[in-house]
Amino acid sequence: MRIKSLAIAVIAFAGLAAPASAGAVTLIGSGSVAAQPVLQALFATYTKQVNHKVHFVYTANGGNAGVKDVQSGTSQFAGQARTPLPSDAGTTYIKAFMDGLCLDVNPKNKLSSISIQQTHDIYRGLLTNWSQVPGSGLETTIDPVGRDTNGGTYNFFLQAVLNNEAPATNVNALTADGLVVNAVKQDENAIGYAGLAWQGSKKLKALKVNGIPCEAKKISVEPLKYPLSRYLFIVLPGDGSTSPPALTKFIDWMRLSPLAGEVISKAGGVPAFNKKK
Amino acid sequence: MLGALVCAVVGLLLAMIVTVLVHGWPSFSHNGLAWFGAGGDVDDQLNAISLSGQAGAEYIYTFHAWPLIWSTILITGGAVLIALFSALFVAVFIVEFAPEWMSNILQPVVRFLASVPSVIYGLIGVVVLVPFIGNNLVTEGQKASVAGVISLTGYSLLAAITVLTVMIAPLMVSIFSDGLRSVKPGWIEGSLALGVNRWRTTWKIVVRTARPAIVAGTVLAVARAIGEAVMLAMISGSVGFSPNPADGVIFIYEPSRPLAPTIVKNIDQLSSPPSNATLFAIASVLLFSAAFLSLTGWVARRSMRKYGAA
Repeated sequence: MRIKSLAIAVIAFAGLAAPASAGAVTLIGSGSVAAQPVLQALFATYTKQVNHKVHFVYTANGGNAGVKDVQSGTSQFAGQARTPLPSDAGTTYIKAFMDGLCLDVNPKNKLSSISIQQTHDIYRGLLTNWSQVPGSGLETTIDPVGRDTNGGTYNFFLQAVLNNEAPATNVNALTADGLVVNAVKQDENAIGYAGLAWQGSKKLKALKVNGIPCEAKKISVEPLKYPLSRYLFIVLPGDGSTSPPALTKFIDWMRLSPLAGEVISKAGGVPAFNKKK
Repeated sequence: MLGALVCAVVGLLLAMIVTVLVHGWPSFSHNGLAWFGAGGDVDDQLNAISLSGQAGAEYIYTFHAWPLIWSTILITGGAVLIALFSALFVAVFIVEFAPEWMSNILQPVVRFLASVPSVIYGLIGVVVLVPFIGNNLVTEGQKASVAGVISLTGYSLLAAITVLTVMIAPLMVSIFSDGLRSVKPGWIEGSLALGVNRWRTTWKIVVRTARPAIVAGTVLAVARAIGEAVMLAMISGSVGFSPNPADGVIFIYEPSRPLAPTIVKNIDQLSSPPSNATLFAIASVLLFSAAFLSLTGWVARRSMRKYGAA
């Protein structure tokens, strides 16, 4: 008797998990945490205004894990914030939109501009005191903050700033972009890096990099004005031809339509190829 | 039916242990006993291991885990020592001295605290304790003295031990107080009737009789502390650095990274075969220490059985 009711309960749960309506398509993705805010906004707009029958499930488990999911077939697409590596064999990278990596300090720091070279030296442990960075108005020890090796932001920073040299041991490697931002807000001696979507707080000051402010309008495809601009990618299995048509349609819409462009800018990204209205 | 279930559970456990050991074996066999020793920068080694797997060249396995082991010993040991003393006194108070209405409130509160998920403690640590230590306790002179080597920003032994103590103490209190409560009332009454005062009775009769429960609670707490990953990954610091007691006061402000958080922080590198072996080797050390702990606890309880309760 008990076993019977247990079985009924299990079946009921399985019923709950089944797709809600017939004819609907659910696209499953995973990957980059950095791309998540923009992707979620795009998914919501697409389902609401373009095609009611397409639904999205996106798990932000990190870019590398996302690509692995695509390789193993667990996910139909992945969000990714770094360029392809040899270990990504069997996948196709599609440029979706752009993002800028800002260098942030606490507002109590008077510094307004920093060069790539200075940043490199700070994260390599060559500059350890703010007095060595002209303009900061501080005489204290620098607390550099960064991401751990799981982050796509870390990989981008490693390539773009550190020339693939490992960061120094005094760099505090945190487990999430949000924790980096949090650390900079709470510590006036800190410096950290985070994407455009994290900016806009009064407790955080984005520095000009090589004299160019970290703003959406300075980030564009050609020429790459802001030195730390990067593409965010959608990763598909194989050469992309095996993906369901609903997914390919969504990707075209995301890359080209003016509506998607607006959604991307609102969510903190920078549209790369979208047509203007 | 039940027997089959038990066999299945035991079989699953054995399969898990074998899987972990087999996956971790290459790392042990390449390093030998030096695996547990010191030498070189452990983060550089992990990085080299991971890169060698991605490049497809010959795999590198060189790994010396001592900074991680030392950090685990310091953080777990510190937290368990502090928690053991405070939990013992709290449990004695709840069972023997507190008025009934108070123990009626304290008991469920302690039970609840013992079951709070560790991420919550981690969040509180990151938002409150870490910045407090970094901005108020660490001085500029102390920071400058180690500049370029490590950052004293509050991610520290002090933060890790404090939060871990708060996390495991309630677990100990609730097991200790169960043990204290199960002491036969006749023994306590007998002691009191002989004119022994209450404090001495508690110490010599109640706590002594409840020793098996105290051992059991401590073993459980140590196991939870050693395996704690998420909370420590958030606040212990992220460098494979060995805090040095010879550094003086700075010692407790120094960051480090225990074994379990190392697995969390490098989980992305599982796809690289040598990293996979190294992480599983760390996992088997954790698994082995857990098994060793429950064995020690069992032996200790057995030898104390003559004292009665539990």
